[in-house]
Amino acid sequence: MSNPNQTRAFERLVRPHFDRLYRLAWRLTGAKAEAEDLFQELLIKAFGQLDDLVTKDAPGAWLCRVMYNLFLDEQRRFARRRMLTVEEGQLAGDGIAGLAGPDDPAYDHGRYETIMQLDAALAQLSDEHRIVVLLHDTEGYKMSEIQELTGLPVGTIKSRLHRARGRLREILTENGTIS
Amino acid sequence: MTKTDINQAIGDDLEIQALLKDYPMPEAATGFYDQALVRATHEGSRRQRNRWLMTGFGSAIAATIAIWAISGVLLTTPDLPDPGATIPGVSIALEQPRTVNLVFASATSLDSATLTVSLPDGIELDGFPGQREITWETSLNKGKNLLPLTLVALSPAGGELLARLEHDDRDRTFRLRVDVT
Repeated sequence: MSNPNQTRAFERLVRPHFDRLYRLAWRLTGAKAEAEDLFQELLIKAFGQLDDLVTKDAPGAWLCRVMYNLFLDEQRRFARRRMLTVEEGQLAGDGIAGLAGPDDPAYDHGRYETIMQLDAALAQLSDEHRIVVLLHDTEGYKMSEIQELTGLPVGTIKSRLHRARGRLREILTENGTIS
Repeated sequence: MTKTDINQAIGDDLEIQALLKDYPMPEAATGFYDQALVRATHEGSRRQRNRWLMTGFGSAIAATIAIWAISGVLLTTPDLPDPGATIPGVSIALEQPRTVNLVFASATSLDSATLTVSLPDGIELDGFPGQREITWETSLNKGKNLLPLTLVALSPAGGELLARLEHDDRDRTFRLRVDVT
């Protein structure tokens, strides 16, 4: 149980950023259960640092950084669980990440196959490459935002982005997904 | 690299970017945010208290009311007061939160100790409305460990607060008289 005033203040600060944080958790971990765990861990940690949080000019960016650092701290655990979930995601008709599967009326065979291949290709990237390419190309983060989140120099981010795209292109060309 | 090669590379990049832009992600399940928020405030409070308990003796003490020791055989350290000798007391004003600090002196570090605070009628722990008994697991460092408790009196009756520390099959109960003025 907690002080109701604290709870209200906390909710007022964090709720506006829930969607963004949830998406970030997904992009970092790559699976629902792990994303939910990470999201939950972030909220618990942030609640414990409420005194800090209320002083932040940009609580959303601060929360993202805390989440990223939490992910790094527990990367081994999340990575291990992600490997298990990737296999589960490849079950026929299961779909990935909310994509309409064969049992869904909205199912688009071509798109489904492409996304499945992309998903498998992303799983072959290192975390550091996968995260940068997903944040930039999928989530639309600017270089400066990734820099703020990760603490990496922009040059390093650009390099990882370039390598990640290149590796994806190799994998997807080899398996015929793109020409 | 020729102009054609460059154009090809740019085209390849754009194709990959277009695929990535279309990489889907589900929305959070209905109710997940609300549940996560509730769990965070409950768990966050519990961890906060654990952390306070482990922070040692460095923080300012508003009202240090007792010291007792726990060791392998639960012997009171000779230079510390015997908690059974007298019941220490604290006075608090009606509906005015007041923080009192319990100091636990442990001869060794203790993992997975359980601390239970039992409150008399009309006295609440701030942030735990309506709860007469609050229990949490914690760890104690070797030496002095501080536990701040913010009490609120909702009635003038007062009474006796019990704090029970358990570890393995041993336990120790501390009593605090709470007078309401």
